[in-house]
Amino acid sequence: MSQSIKPHAASFRDPSGFIYEKDGTIYRFVSSAYQLHYDLLKSSGLADELIKQKKLLAFTEINENHTGRADWHKTLQPQFIPFLSYAWEWSFEQLKDAALTTLSICSSSLKKGMILKDATHTNIQFVNGKPKLIDTLSFEQYAEGEQWIAYRQFCECFLNPLLLAAYKGIEVSKLLLSYPDGVPAALTADLLPFKTKLKPVIYLHVHLHANLSGKAGKATSTQTKKVTKKNIELIIESLHDCITGLTLPVKQTTWNNYYDETILSDQYLSEKKKLVAALLSEMSYETVIDLGANEGEFSLLCKKEAQVVATDFDSACINSLYHKVKNEKLQHILPLVVDLTYPSPAMGWMNDERSAFFKRRKFDVGLALALIHHLAIEKNISFDQLAFFFAEVCNELIIEFVPKTDPKVAAMLKWRKDIFEHYTEVEFEQSFEQYFFLKKKVPVPHSDRTLYHYQKKQ
Amino acid sequence: MMQLLYLDPGSGSYLIQVIIAGALAVLFYFKNTWNWIKSFFIKAPPKNEEEKNESID
Repeated sequence: MSQSIKPHAASFRDPSGFIYEKDGTIYRFVSSAYQLHYDLLKSSGLADELIKQKKLLAFTEINENHTGRADWHKTLQPQFIPFLSYAWEWSFEQLKDAALTTLSICSSSLKKGMILKDATHTNIQFVNGKPKLIDTLSFEQYAEGEQWIAYRQFCECFLNPLLLAAYKGIEVSKLLLSYPDGVPAALTADLLPFKTKLKPVIYLHVHLHANLSGKAGKATSTQTKKVTKKNIELIIESLHDCITGLTLPVKQTTWNNYYDETILSDQYLSEKKKLVAALLSEMSYETVIDLGANEGEFSLLCKKEAQVVATDFDSACINSLYHKVKNEKLQHILPLVVDLTYPSPAMGWMNDERSAFFKRRKFDVGLALALIHHLAIEKNISFDQLAFFFAEVCNELIIEFVPKTDPKVAAMLKWRKDIFEHYTEVEFEQSFEQYFFLKKKVPVPHSDRTLYHYQKKQ
Repeated sequence: MMQLLYLDPGSGSYLIQVIIAGALAVLFYFKNTWNWIKSFFIKAPPKNEEEKNESID
């Protein structure tokens, strides 16, 4: 292999090929070991069909071997993905849609004589608002009598966390941060309530699956019954029906009715929206990060040509924003569950496979509305640290200062000692002006709050 | 055909799939039969109701 071409750190497990970067563009090397399957994927029309359905990431063939490797079959250039996200940043509905897309792809593949040889959430990315399979090398020719090799992986990566969210209210993002390779069947079976044993499909895919795993190992060599294609279709259909029917338990969090609460008046919110919209209209930007986005009220003000990453630590808010994004086809917004005080770490082999959240990219604009008091007072983060953080994340910043006289801050300080003598507008400005130029400062009507538009110092 | 088994399917997974698919076949058979019987008593059930029933198990 040429010295300059190295496989991407997350692309080393599958011998069929790997992705790499060359001159700032991502390519995929397809090995001759995968030739049979790749050619079938193309000749059967499966690739075209799935790309048309927006379930598979589009790619073009490049007739050039950048790597110099002898086992070269094809070079692919996949469609650009504006922002990578991982399942430990997804809400319930996002993981559910990723699961249903995976099943649908597997079902379409079987009709064309192929099957998915892996079924993990790391092969799915949200592009233009929809989950897409990004791994072109996941397809394999299917021969009658073979099992679905990725069945266990599908259950662990998708079905089990979704069931635990639906029946126990455990957030899928937190489950998959702890179990990035998927939640084992035995643990899921232990945690699920007894009533799930009475539901035949859940009983089979989780409880029986957990009981048989390991125990059935010896029997495989002597058993004669073959898995048929019809069997796999039944498994897929039952998983699809089961997952389609799953919903989150109804639970009101502190945040998903934040703007409905009377403490903040309607006029305040509508005036703030007007001010933020006016500031955004004066800016030139392509990428935005909305930090503490709640249900995306302000992400929605960004122009549709921009790529907006809307983050909040409350998965219920992100779930409802995703719902809105999906229903209203707001393709430019990517909602993600991110706790700013514990952002997703670098994960995987050598800490290199999945990048840390804030290492993925810098943004043209950062929105930090009704956020600073939560970080400064609830989390004891100083203005200096906050200003440094925002300067690392974005080039221009719209930030709202919430003073101690504000009812929300007063409520925060009601039951704790006020150790925040530095929490003043003057000190806020001093800290931020170390890293930013002030472009505009406007009071928000019907409140004591102030909006700042900052531009990062170069 | 020689498979590139880079993914561990889990011990006994072949048998698990035979058993689970067998049980599912029985389950779907009964469900279809039940829906067929029901169709004599309930004329043209609303489509979403049908979907709801299917998702319950």
